Amino acid sequence: MNIGKSGAILLGFPDTTQDAHLFVEKSPANGAALVIALHHLGFALSEPQADEIRRGKDFIQLKNGPFDLDLVFAPDGLEHFEDSWNRRVEVEGFPVCHIDDIIASKAATNRVKDRESLPRLRSFRDYWLAKHRR
Amino acid sequence: MANIETPANLPTDCLEEFEAAARRPLPLRWRYAFIHTYKPVLDDASFRSFDTTEDYRRWCEQNLPDWLGYARV
Repeated sequence: MNIGKSGAILLGFPDTTQDAHLFVEKSPANGAALVIALHHLGFALSEPQADEIRRGKDFIQLKNGPFDLDLVFAPDGLEHFEDSWNRRVEVEGFPVCHIDDIIASKAATNRVKDRESLPRLRSFRDYWLAKHRR
Repeated sequence: MANIETPANLPTDCLEEFEAAARRPLPLRWRYAFIHTYKPVLDDASFRSFDTTEDYRRWCEQNLPDWLGYARV
């Protein structure tokens, strides 16, 4: 499920990013499926790296594929994958975290760069909610 | 301008940007969104993994230049 600024961009947020972030459910089956999908996309994973993804470490950063990708199994500010999954939004087939979850996660992380982007992201939330009425 | 109920406190320039983005098809939006500039240290390894997200946050604070903005406030 897409999260972070790349998730917001899928929802329509006009901004730039340098990488994509996926909030991934931690399970052996999902980890194995993820490795297959990453190979299919062109990520060059060694077997030890694939094993770490299958095991589901909390945070994995990939810069060995067609784009930079962070796999986040335990994002800041979001307790349970299932809760976020139930709130997800589908954008042309892509599952995306609800804008409120994206904002909650960024606010909980509380990095300098998140603080800078949050006011505009909150404005987008108001716009998006008015447009989608959910 | 799209026919939506505009949030009262939404800055006009933001609204115009959001409306313009909403008119673009997803592939175009996606292509416009991704840029890549070299980030010292962060881009110098092709794979990193951390047992916890907190470990990753701490690693960023201890290893990345402040100006990248990865340090927590």
